[in-house]
Amino acid sequence: MPKPIKIILLLMPLTTLLLVDSNNYYFISLLLIIYAMLPFFIIYEKRKVQLRELVMIAVMIAIAVAGRSAFFMLPQIKPMVAIVIISGICLGAQSGFLIGTLSAFISNFIFGQGPWTIWQMFATGSIGFLAGILYYNNILMKTKTSICIFGGITTFFIYGGIVNLNSLMTNNIATIIAYYVYSIPFDLLHASSTIVFLYLIAIPMIEKIERIKTKYG
Amino acid sequence: MIRCYFSDYHPIVLFIYFISVISFAIFLMHPVCLLISISAAISYLALLRIKKYMLAIFLIISIINPLFNHAGVTILFYLPTGNPFTLESLLYGIATSFMIITVIAWFCCYNKVVTSDKLLYLFGKLLPQLSLIISMVLRLIPLYKIRFNKIMHANPSDNAFKTAALVVSIMVTWSMETAIDTADSMKARGYGLPNRTTFSNYKLTTRDIVVSIGLVVMSGYLICSNKLAVTYIPIFNYTQSLPDFIIYTILCYTPIILSIMEELKWKYLISKI
Repeated sequence: MPKPIKIILLLMPLTTLLLVDSNNYYFISLLLIIYAMLPFFIIYEKRKVQLRELVMIAVMIAIAVAGRSAFFMLPQIKPMVAIVIISGICLGAQSGFLIGTLSAFISNFIFGQGPWTIWQMFATGSIGFLAGILYYNNILMKTKTSICIFGGITTFFIYGGIVNLNSLMTNNIATIIAYYVYSIPFDLLHASSTIVFLYLIAIPMIEKIERIKTKYG
Repeated sequence: MIRCYFSDYHPIVLFIYFISVISFAIFLMHPVCLLISISAAISYLALLRIKKYMLAIFLIISIINPLFNHAGVTILFYLPTGNPFTLESLLYGIATSFMIITVIAWFCCYNKVVTSDKLLYLFGKLLPQLSLIISMVLRLIPLYKIRFNKIMHANPSDNAFKTAALVVSIMVTWSMETAIDTADSMKARGYGLPNRTTFSNYKLTTRDIVVSIGLVVMSGYLICSNKLAVTYIPIFNYTQSLPDFIIYTILCYTPIILSIMEELKWKYLISKI
């Protein structure tokens, strides 16, 4: 295990212990989520990645960001999660996480950074990671139905569930519950739009990426 | 009107400033601190000439938040549901919504001042591969927009849905094929060789070092002294200390103070000619 990761593993309980008295759960959870993302980035930097793979990752992120900005007038309809899932399946779990986090981060250069950025990064990253892991273990298949079901469930529960945690800022359990209840229709809309996007583009896009992989190795 | 001279400082100074100001805005819920921070954020927004108001949403939050919060001692009135509406929860709700508005305002300033190339400059040495990916993506997005229009011109059709599917398909294939070309071309031009430089070149001057030390010392003092405690629920209770308030004010107003100082210096030098 690289040294920085050990330090992070030590920092996690330390921060929680030091700050738990202050009752500022928002700050604690924000710090913990940043600690959780750092090891992925560090591992990625340690690995000497092939230049072609690096450029492919950049292309997938650019497609995801361009897709989100193409539908900018319809805030809940965005193909970002769909593209992240496809790249998680085709390029592996680690690249999936990277593509998820970075596309959330970069698209907020256009849509505006805010306290929600970190939650979005973690949520999309985990979806990409999960897609890669489940595909590797043959739980997720390269079929339309399997991918669509996975996309719908993860968008609603993981993306919605994590991003709504931003309401922790109010530090009040009743407001947070109200926030979750109010956002159910929005999350449902987001999940169904992800399903539609996956239904339309998943198989053709996977075929295209596979073609590139066999053509250039 | 005064220009924002703070934006010309080294990115590390800007980054330290925004990290500390935003963390303190979330952490210090003391009413005076909230007022200091929000006034500084709004003046800074004015200095940067940003007109972006998202106050409507936060007004709603400030109304909803106390309605759902029942803990508190001083009962103002009872809601129709039978829950008591307390002074403490009202104050707490107001404080929370102030805090959220402040953080949003600080992020508006951050978006204007810390541009993506400054961020890349900061993290380019630390995380070179991630920075490379980010800078490539920032280039690819406008390129894809141009390509998208080119494809649209080449494929006029009555059926919008069919065109869209075709255009997306062409886009994806085109971008992936050229990506491999880009990678090979980068390799041929010596990607990965040592001693690469970044696009923007900032120099750490004495004033940058002085200001960043000042920011770190002020933040450190505020963290260590820890005198500005406040509880809203169940009883509104707070402590205060004048030096801490003054230091927090200076910390939040740093860009404005520096811009005014620079402006005065400029005026003074002009008057001497």
